[in-house]
Formats: sequence, C-alpha cells, structure tokens
Amino acid sequence: MSSVDATPTDRAAAPVTRLVARWLDKYGERISGHLQRPAQPARWREFPPDLAPALGTALAARGIERLYSHQREAWDHVTAGEHVVVVTPTASGKTLCYNLPVLAAVHAQRAKALYLFPTKALAQDQVAELLELNTAGALGLRACTFDGDTPADARQAIRLKGDIVVSNPDMLHQAILPHHTKWAQFFESLRYIVIDEVHSYRGVFGSHVANVVRRLKRVCAFYGVQPVFILCSATIGNPREHAEALVGETVHAITDSGAPCGERHVLLWNPPVINPDLGIRASARSQSMRLARQTIRAGLKTIVFAQSRLMVEVLTKYLKDVFDHDPRERERIRAYRGGYLPNERRQTERALRAGALDGVVSTSALELGVDIGALDVAILNGFPGSIAASWQRLGRAGRRQRPALGVLVASSAPLDQYVVRHPEFFAAATPEQARIAPDQLLILLDHIRCAAFELPFTSGDRFGEAPVDEFLGVLAEAGVLHQEGTRWDWIADSYPAGAVNLRAVADGNFVVVDRSEGRQTIIAEVDYASAALTLYEGAIYLVQSRPWQVEHLDWAGRKAFVTTTHADYYTDAIDYTKLKVLARFDGSRSGQGLCHHGEVHVVRRVSGYKKIRYYSHENIGYGPVNLPDQELHTTALWWQLEQDVLEAAFERRQDALDGFLGAAYALHTVARVRAMADGHDLQKAVGSGDAAWFASRDAQGRGQWRNAQGEAVAVGSAASFSPTLFLYDNFAGGIGLSEPLFHGAAGLVRAALDLVESCDCNGGCPACIGPILASDTPQPSQAELAVAVLSLLAA
Amino acid sequence: MSALHDRLARLRAQAGAGALATPAPLLGATALAPRPPDALRALLHAREQRRAAPRPVLAAPAGVEVAAGVYLVERTFAYAANPRLMLPWLAQAPIERSRLVCFDTETTGLAGGVGTRAFMIGSARWCADRLTVRQLYLTTMAGEAAMLRLFNAWLDPAAILVSYNGKSYDAPLLKGRLRLNHVDHRLAELPHLDWLHPVRRRYRGVFENCRLATIERQALRIVRDDDLPGAQAPAAWLAFLRGESSRNLARVLDHNRQDVVTLMRLSDHMAAIDPAAP
Repeated sequence: MSSVDATPTDRAAAPVTRLVARWLDKYGERISGHLQRPAQPARWREFPPDLAPALGTALAARGIERLYSHQREAWDHVTAGEHVVVVTPTASGKTLCYNLPVLAAVHAQRAKALYLFPTKALAQDQVAELLELNTAGALGLRACTFDGDTPADARQAIRLKGDIVVSNPDMLHQAILPHHTKWAQFFESLRYIVIDEVHSYRGVFGSHVANVVRRLKRVCAFYGVQPVFILCSATIGNPREHAEALVGETVHAITDSGAPCGERHVLLWNPPVINPDLGIRASARSQSMRLARQTIRAGLKTIVFAQSRLMVEVLTKYLKDVFDHDPRERERIRAYRGGYLPNERRQTERALRAGALDGVVSTSALELGVDIGALDVAILNGFPGSIAASWQRLGRAGRRQRPALGVLVASSAPLDQYVVRHPEFFAAATPEQARIAPDQLLILLDHIRCAAFELPFTSGDRFGEAPVDEFLGVLAEAGVLHQEGTRWDWIADSYPAGAVNLRAVADGNFVVVDRSEGRQTIIAEVDYASAALTLYEGAIYLVQSRPWQVEHLDWAGRKAFVTTTHADYYTDAIDYTKLKVLARFDGSRSGQGLCHHGEVHVVRRVSGYKKIRYYSHENIGYGPVNLPDQELHTTALWWQLEQDVLEAAFERRQDALDGFLGAAYALHTVARVRAMADGHDLQKAVGSGDAAWFASRDAQGRGQWRNAQGEAVAVGSAASFSPTLFLYDNFAGGIGLSEPLFHGAAGLVRAALDLVESCDCNGGCPACIGPILASDTPQPSQAELAVAVLSLLAA
Repeated sequence: MSALHDRLARLRAQAGAGALATPAPLLGATALAPRPPDALRALLHAREQRRAAPRPVLAAPAGVEVAAGVYLVERTFAYAANPRLMLPWLAQAPIERSRLVCFDTETTGLAGGVGTRAFMIGSARWCADRLTVRQLYLTTMAGEAAMLRLFNAWLDPAAILVSYNGKSYDAPLLKGRLRLNHVDHRLAELPHLDWLHPVRRRYRGVFENCRLATIERQALRIVRDDDLPGAQAPAAWLAFLRGESSRNLARVLDHNRQDVVTLMRLSDHMAAIDPAAP
C-alpha cells in the first residue's frame, strides 16, 4: 500500500529563493545554466509483513515507521533471491535497502554478510549505523570492520564471530581471499554481499574489482554458497549494465526513489572573461569565495568542494579570515580532507550533523556517503571531472525536505568550460557510463594467478567468461603452476596478491630517492607511464612546490636519484608520439571520411626537455634525454579523411594539419566527458596511421610535421597526405574506453563541432581547440580550420 | 599457447611489470631488486628448453607407496627413557611419553596463505624404549588429501602435539590444507606443546639465536652430517616433481627425520630444567 505526503512548506525556502533571484538579476551573464527541480513528496510503503518484530522495534526506535517505496522494492527482490543494484539520490535511505534484508537474515538464520566500501571511513560509518540499529532492537549481532588497521589479535575473533564484516576490495584481495580457509565458517554461512558506491569501481580499479569478485564467487562456490549481491551506486548512465559487469550476474536495477526531496536549484557559473584575446577568465577560486561569503551570511549551511588538498587549505583560510577572525566566538568554518587524523574528521562530521558549523571546505572525501546531515548550499570550485561526481557533490545540499542550492563554478580548464557551456548535460538524466574491462589481458592474468593460489584450477574451467587453459599454460611455463593431468596447482613460493595493485595495470612504479647530504630517503613514487616524462636526468622534480633535481635515473631498477636544488626554473619534457594501426576491428563512414576501431602500436619518445624560468615563463635552455622509447599495444579509435577530400577543402596542407590538431583537442575533451575518463587514461594523437609521420604543435601552437625519426620536415614534402586522428587507451592492452567511444563516434564529432562553434573566443582558446598565441591571428583562424575538419567528419 | 604467452609478456613489459614468474612487491627501496632487462628473454628461453624435454618421472627416493602419490618411510631407533616425564608447560602431573607426537612439516615455501602446502610430514613417537619415526611425502600433487588423512589417522584422541614453532606455522598451514581438501581433522582439539617460546625464555641471550639448529648444536650437542638447509626443501621437492633430480629430496627426508628426533630429545632436555629458573 502506498501513500503520498503533502510537501511541507519550509521557512528556509525564502533565503535560497531570494538569493537565486538576486544572482540571476545581478550576474545573469555569468550564469550559463539554471536548472530547477520541483519538490517531490515521499512515496511510502508499509513494512513487509514477514519482517521480524525485533527489527520493527529497532526501526521504530530510530524513528522509522514505514519504508520509502524503493526500500520496499529492494526488500521484495532481495528476499526473492535476486541480485539488486539500487540507484537513488544522496540521502534517500539507500543503506536501509541492504541493512534491512541483511539484518533480517542475520537475526533469523545467523546468516553472514560481507560489506565492501571503497574507503575505510565509509566502512566505519556503516558499522556505527549498524550498531545503533543493533542496540535499538537488542538484535545481538556483531558487525566489525576488517581493514589494514584491524589489530592482529582482533582478526581471529572477527573471522569466527563476525556476522557482518565490513571491509574494502583491497583487503578482500590481499588478506581475505588468499587466507580463505581461515574464514571457512564465515564463507559457509555467507548470504549477502553488499557493494556500495559501485560507480567508483570503473576503469582500471573497476576492472580489478570485477576480477576480485570473480575470485570471491569461486571461493564461495567452494564453500557451497551462492550469496546474493546488493549493490548501490550514485547516478550513472548504465547502473544495471555496470553492476552486471562487476558481479557477472543478472541484476535487477531499482532507480525510482520514493524519498522526498525539496526544491533544488543548480547554477552553472562561468567567471567573467578578463582577457578576451587569450580567453582568460577570473579565477574560479575568487568567484567561489564570493558566493560562499554570501550564502553563509544569508544563514545557509554551505559546503565548498575543492579539487586538491592544498586548495582546501587555501579556501578555508579565506573563509576563516572572514568568519572566524574573533577567537572568542564559536568556530564557524572547518576544513575536511584526507590526510587528517580520523579523530579530527569524526569531530567535524559530528559538528556538521549537529548543525554547529556554518561552512565546511572539503575534497572528494565528503563526496561519498559519510553522514554529515543537512546542508543548504554546495559550491563546486571547479568541475570534478565527471557529471556523476558533480551530482554526488551537489547532492550534499538539500538532504531532507529543505530547498537546496548547488553552484558549479567553472575554472578556465577545457573540461570545465565545455561542461559549463552545456547545461543540457546537467538537465539530461545521466549521460555518463561507467566502463570496466574485466578481461583486459594483464589484469585477467594477474587475477587468474591469484585465483590459482586460492584454489586449484581444472582444465576447461572458466574465470568469468574466459576459458583459463591458455592462461594456465602460460603460468605453468613461468613455473608458478604445476600441471598434473587436468589439474593445475599453485607451486611457487610467493604470495601473488601481494604483487597485484588494484589501482594499476601492472605494478612497475618508480621511486624517487633523495640522496642529498648522504640521505637515502624515498620522497615520492611515480607510475611507470609518467616516469619517462618526469624523471629524466636533469629534470626538476617538484614535491609540494619544493624542487629536486634528478641526477641519475636507474631505469631497470625503477629508481630516480635526486638532490635538493635552488633552480629558478622548472623543466618540461619534449615528447613525440607516433602510432601505427595493427588491426582494424570495426569501421564505418563518418561524414566524408572514415572512423575505425582497432589495435594500435604506440611509440612515445622523450627527446629532450625545456628549462622554463618561473614567473616570466621564458625558455632558458634545452637538455637532451636518452631514454628507451615507450611502446604500447593498445586499442584506439581513429578518423581519417582522404587526400582528395582534404585538397578540395583546404588551400594548404598546413591548414588541414592545424585543423586536425584542433579537432583532436576538441574530440579529446568531449570524449573524456563521455567516457568518464581521466585525461591521463585516454590520449590523443595526429599522424599518418602507419607511423611514417606524425604531427605536434610547435611553440606558437601551429602544427608541425615530423618524420618517423622525429625530425621536423616541411609539411608539403610527403607524397601522400592522409592525416589520422587517434584517441587511444593509455594502457598496455587497452582498458575498454575506445570501443564504446567508437560506437558513439558520430555523437562525439557533433559534440566536438558544437564545442568549437559555440566557443566565444576569437579563433581558438584552451576551452575549445587548445592554447594558441594571442598574436597569432591567421586567416582562416585555427578554430575555423578545426570546424572545417569536424564538419567533413560529421554525418 | 605461445602466441598468448608472447602477447602477455610483451604487454607486461610495456606496462612496466617484471617477468611472468614472480613479480616482487614494491615496498620501499630495499625491496627494489633490479629487474634484469633480459629476464623475459631468459623466461622465453627456459620455456623452449622445457618444451624440448618432456618431463621424466623419477623413482621415489625412499619408502613404500601407501596411497596414490603418497610414500611412507618408517625407521625405528633405540631410545631408552622414562615412560613418564614432567612437562609443567602442559600439566602438573607426569605425562605418558607415548602420547607425545613430535611432528614437523616441509612446505613449498614461507610465503603464507592457502597456496602454500606441506609436501612432507614427519612424526616421532616413543613406545617401550624405541622411537619410531614415520614420514609421509608426496610424489604427486594429487596425493595431498590421502597424505593428510593418513597423518590425521595417527592422531589418536590421547595424542599431544609437540613442535618447534608449530603453533604459528605448521598447524595453521595444515589446518588450511585439510580444510581445502575437505578432510575432517582432530588437529584443533589436541593439546599442543610448541617448544619455541619456552626455549626462547630459557636461552634468549645465551646462544646467538633460538633456531632449532642452534639449540640442537649448543644445548643437545647433536651434530648433523651433510644437512640440507630447510630453506632448500621447496626447491628439492620441485626438482623431483619436475623430473630433474631426486637426490636432494632424499636429503630433505634425512633433515626432517633429524628434526623430529631432536624434538623428543629437546623434550627430555627441557623436562630436566626447572621452568621457573631464569
């Protein structure tokens, strides 16, 4: 039975509405989008008839007399044995969707449950909440966190007696599965596996986690259980598909929230242009601070999200200077970020829940489900990199039924500028798709290795979808498995999970060793892919803006030795990328050109570096770099235009080349948004497709042609001219980004075209086709050339 | 198969990972063993060699086959001693010597986790002035469940386990493998006297360390001849399993036999010491 509540009018509505009206009036030209969502009443359902009385009592003691419709829907499906993913907004009572069936099963049958959260803080929150319910209903259940901080003597008790074990994927991978026999009793009764925040398991991390789940299911099968998965996610475009990829089962998606929500305003805020030639805008920081001062003065509880820990400190200082200058008054502003001690974080969370603070400045640490109570305003200082993360942060305002305000303040970064100029992305339900590639060869091999350690394989077995025999053969040849008939047993003296990092394709990190004054201290770790660009001999390496100079790079030993320096310059690598198409998997027409998806061979060479003086940014010298070429076999999508089409459309080859480079920049920007990818994970390049030549931008931002040896050559010198524009996965073996991009390629070209055409700049800027020199105003402009290329590719 | 192998080896090299065999975890500078650039080539070379010669099956170095893939070696030694001894670490009353099961395992490594297994279990038990040493070992992986069942059958309800570091190492490892092979067992119920801690309390600072070999030499005056260091046991068994040589496996049997005999000697030695003395 369902019922509908009337929306209560709230006195807090006035300040938010007044403020929005005033800003629209006063700063109309800075507000590129104003999205409004009307208030929604709650949709209620009764408790399920078979709910144990003790649980009803526990809920009633916590003020819960009935369920939101999605909570009841979750109960009905989960108790019927279906796997479920719950996708509802922040503060819609998601946790009860899994706590209720889990508590019922623990209470009635002494069943066990495993909860996985991406961070330790979330796990601890969850246990606190479970314990409150437990106390309220005298349920007698034992919920415990199991993570790296769990003391050794407590671990044994948790393994034997824990009803609900709350952990994270890394612990499951490194500590639980490789010791599963110690957890035998737990696994034998394991009924539910809860995985929260599944939207954060995407890309490389998500691909690893999907394989950890495969191992978990294998171990469960050994103990004769088939647990039900209950997953939760923030709003993403493909929750069911993503959940199914993650757990390898058919999953029912619950997307219709019955929780009430107040009226919500979201403003997209673009700081005013202060230099139209260079496309330079006022800083996001100054705008965010101005907005936060006004909302706090208006009595609205405000959270400001910053992109880095450093920026959190800076913004907190600015707000404290205004609101906390009198030490005799209560503290009104606090900072919250990773790196603070847990106690301090808990204290801030409590103060927020109690309404004792007026403003908090945070990194993404508060984006996930840490309980901080109701806030009125969320200000995002810069675009967080994905629409889903933006909504997650904006959702921090407007818990319960109060009207809420969210403001996304764009920086001048291209992604920010793209997003702020396309308010329809925020209006549209959810454009982003979380992608994983669980069968990525290297990741798969790593987890088959770990799985073989945990339980022997038999020829013909599958791991996920993949038949394992070939992989077992490879591992046997490497001496880690021993084959006897159809059985493959682990034989090596090693602990394979220890060597597999869930957040990298392969663990080949470099360490940076400071050996000034006879020290031998590790000051940083750099991933393999970035090492050639940042740790060449002569490079200035910065940590917290303190400079070190690389004296010696031990490539094979994965070490860079540095000493402190007082250089007044920093260094920037000069690198070239050439691509060669190895295989075409699929292709289609794209306007007057072609679009393909396939495998490519990428060679990246760092040929030298520039020394750039601070503040003046003048180039004060060059240095050579002698490093092996970085090679990569990966997947890509690419666009090509035939020579005759280009000759008809462009007067000079140089123009076509500039157009391709501008188009690549714009396509890369929109593709990153679509693929929910970090800029580092998806890369772009322009070349001939057979690695005979490739293009890069020179110091003036103009296209430069280079031959296979990396020497600059005249643009008209080659006989054939068919530039190719690549977007590729920046991981050996690919990570599944380029294939979905290929299937949406026509939309990508249209979006890129729109991005460049609708940009307000004069002839090109970092927000559309990339940085160009202000003095460089050729006819046609670089932006016009990019539009010409994209138009030829548009259907 | 080799196409996939080559592809994986190439991708791993591109991603910055080491050879396929055992990538070392990166834990600070000390763990950063240099990775030879030709490790992959060496690996591929080894693969070709291995493929060229099919694995021969070697004869077991000693004993009789008591189950498929499981061999038993049994030796009896004269050991005149009091049938009861005082072990205050276990009980205040004298204990029947015949209840003591001195045991020790040889394993595929020290890495820990369920993937590490015992390939040999030795035990020494006293009866009427004779010490009988029985050793089980595997000649095939598939024999493991049978070996574990046979060992478990030696453990009558009155048995008392005696070991050196067995409480933290051998017993948990065996329990894991018993569980993995679906063998119900008595290991967890039996009293277990692990001499490591009493010996440490008595001899810390007296000898250079408290390893069993040191205590044996210094306190019991036992000298071993041509002993294979325990750390080489995994390689010895692998060499046998892969058909390369059975010579060192025979030496592992000798080493393990001496270990369990030493455990009985050590029990007498410790029983003669007042546990309350410094």
